[in-house]
Amino acid sequence: MAQEVSLKSLWESEREVILQVLYRDREVRNIEEERIRKLKTHLQHLRWKGSKSGSQEYKEKSCARCRQALGLLLNRGAVCQGCSHRVCAKCRVFLRMTRAWKCTVCFEDRNVKIKTGEWFFEERAKKFPTEGKHETAGAKLLKSYQKLSKISVVPSSPPPLSESQCGGGPGRFQELGQFKGFNKSVENLFLSVTTHMKKLSKSQNDMTSDKQRPAVGPRRCEGRSERRSQSDTAVNVTTRKVSAPDILNPLNQESPKCPTSPVLKQEGISFSPAPNTLFSGGLRHGSLISINSTCTEMGNFDNANVTGEIELAIRYCFRTRSLEICIKACKNLAYGEEKKKKCNPYVKTYLLPERSSQGKRKTGVQKNTVEPTFQETLKYQVEPSQLATRQLQVSVWHLGTLARRVFLGEVIIPLATWDFEDRTTQSARWYPLQAKAEKDEDSIPTNNGELVVRAKLALPAGPGKLQEAQAFLPGTGDEPSRNGQLCVVVLGAKNLPVRSDGTLNSFVKGCLTLPDQQRLRLKSPVLKKQACPQWKYSFVFKGVTPSQLRQSTLELTVWDQATFGVKDRLLGGARLGSKEEPAGGADSCSRSKLQWQKVLSSPNLWTDMTLTLH
Amino acid sequence: MASATDSRYGQKESSDQNFDYMFKILIIGNSSVGKTSFLFRYADDSFTPAFVSTVGIDFKVKTIYRNDKRIKLQIWDTAGQERYRTITTAYYRGAMGFILMYDITNEESFNAVQDWSTQIKTYSWDNAQVLLVGNKCDMEDERVVSSERGRQLADHLGFEFFEASAKDNINVKQTFERLVDVICEKMSESLDTADPAVTGAKQGPQLTDQQAPPHQDCAC
Repeated sequence: MAQEVSLKSLWESEREVILQVLYRDREVRNIEEERIRKLKTHLQHLRWKGSKSGSQEYKEKSCARCRQALGLLLNRGAVCQGCSHRVCAKCRVFLRMTRAWKCTVCFEDRNVKIKTGEWFFEERAKKFPTEGKHETAGAKLLKSYQKLSKISVVPSSPPPLSESQCGGGPGRFQELGQFKGFNKSVENLFLSVTTHMKKLSKSQNDMTSDKQRPAVGPRRCEGRSERRSQSDTAVNVTTRKVSAPDILNPLNQESPKCPTSPVLKQEGISFSPAPNTLFSGGLRHGSLISINSTCTEMGNFDNANVTGEIELAIRYCFRTRSLEICIKACKNLAYGEEKKKKCNPYVKTYLLPERSSQGKRKTGVQKNTVEPTFQETLKYQVEPSQLATRQLQVSVWHLGTLARRVFLGEVIIPLATWDFEDRTTQSARWYPLQAKAEKDEDSIPTNNGELVVRAKLALPAGPGKLQEAQAFLPGTGDEPSRNGQLCVVVLGAKNLPVRSDGTLNSFVKGCLTLPDQQRLRLKSPVLKKQACPQWKYSFVFKGVTPSQLRQSTLELTVWDQATFGVKDRLLGGARLGSKEEPAGGADSCSRSKLQWQKVLSSPNLWTDMTLTLH
Repeated sequence: MASATDSRYGQKESSDQNFDYMFKILIIGNSSVGKTSFLFRYADDSFTPAFVSTVGIDFKVKTIYRNDKRIKLQIWDTAGQERYRTITTAYYRGAMGFILMYDITNEESFNAVQDWSTQIKTYSWDNAQVLLVGNKCDMEDERVVSSERGRQLADHLGFEFFEASAKDNINVKQTFERLVDVICEKMSESLDTADPAVTGAKQGPQLTDQQAPPHQDCAC
């Protein structure tokens, strides 16, 4: 079904029913994707363990998995049939009842294929090669629903739903005998579904509820003050959550906690870097902003009255280029749940301005204490040059029931002025915790760097003026109005939100949306390991007219290519064209608007533009 | 909300990802053949004689223990009515296996099996595993489709065949478990052809021995 799945032909009441199913499905998918992400992360860790670092040559024979030296006579190793690497005896997994074996990584690779269902997607791709690998019908339907109804899903302050409110139901549902107590608006439904995703999926698991109601899942009544993030409100984002696990930086935590710790799980689930599908009309600016935020950055948390202090030490090792933040302890923390006097604190850090999940480090959760002792070291691989541009944000959180988080305070330490050479700065210090800086983030325009492009509208000005042979399509005689082309040379970008090692594997996507909603998409090659990439790559959109272009939108987005099977990370984007500009960076927008008009009004002339990425 | 509720859900939370893999299964067939009842019998061990037409789609999740593996099944129940067809067919592509159901007391539902099969061929992946199920076999008095005809059609279409009753809980579990097994076989096959170095690999031998006597599963 390449064609759009649609809910148009259905009644409103039917749509609501289906929508509820779709939401439940989304929660199932969320859990599944989180599980898959972990599996893939695990596999990647295995791979790293054996990978030889660049400087280290294969000068001696060693096991490709554990790097143990191999002998000449004893323990000589053998070549794995799967990957052709030589591995020692310990790193082999014998397959059931046979003498055949695979190395640990190949074995795990197969395992992961089974466990993630990757085998199925691969098989299916044989028949439907164009299909988005993991996009599900549910996701599509949700998208289609969104188009249909433009629901703004989370109301700013939902009234708490009392039991009695939930008890009644609209007549038609009762007539159907199906909807005992289904009376919630889509908004409330969505709110409750998202805030109770765990519950829902659990109640499906045990299958005990709602026995007499065949077609509809369990209903949730509880009102909650919890919010989902902006990105969560877009209902079709879930398929992309596999992106950006912490694996991109192996030096993650010195004492890694159990992977199923509830914090990790929740964080993963609510983090939704979903650039492509957030807004079904292809207007992505809203998503550009939320892309790097986790839900806690977007206000999805409760606030406690901030009290107390945190003790931590900061050290930078120039040799290994790693920034180490030793989180020692906290004292006098506020209770996460004041009434119950409960507090399960943990500490989270970011190297601002980066707020992606790759840049997040967390300690374990301490239970039932306002004086937690962590003694955990969180590490970042950072180039010295990068340090000066970063601020260390250390925040303390309470992990409540249902993984609800409560903000307990934070410290922001600018690293620009930090003297890493001075030993005295390396000792642990107490910092008073502070409330979240109000509006602080708003005051800094979301600037994700600049993109330098050069654009030209090439038109056949006249028979004598064919300066650029490549500018014209052959055989355009019968339709002269359509043979213009828009050339956009993406020269380079700077000040991009780089990874903590100061590099990026970046590429640019160009998408020209024509007035008839047809989209022309182009993509540049990937430039590896560069913070300021210079692609010098030309996008040529053929067969467009100036009048078309005036009503078209050109979106240029910069991406960081993911290291392995996960989704690429959106670094920022800029839009040129007729559509109303999004909020933020009004100056640069109007400037680029002018420049864009210049491109359109002066055909066959190159115009240079510096676009601010948002 | 009551804190009791919180803790109840909180406890279960940890087991969310407590499975080895997930299969998606679709139940299709004419309206009123008993798809929803079949699913409810399997998932909840419940049965309601009243007929309630499914709106579009619905699903249930059930985790079973099979071949030393915890397998989470997301079982999609589809509306048999034509008017929901665009929605239901959208789900074909994500399904690894199908239960194609007819009603042994309803000739028309049996005649439609061929069409449903064509739908699967059109919308699903090439290795879609299908079980043909003749439901309502408790209603022997009203039977119009003989077991033999059902079996012949299944053979013709290359599907496996069961007669079942959601009402009397006959062959319900067996149907799902058989489907899980054939999907597992297909999975091993697809992995091992892609990877000829390893034959008889991890999943292979154990998953092919479905002749094992049906044992009580942990139907958690």
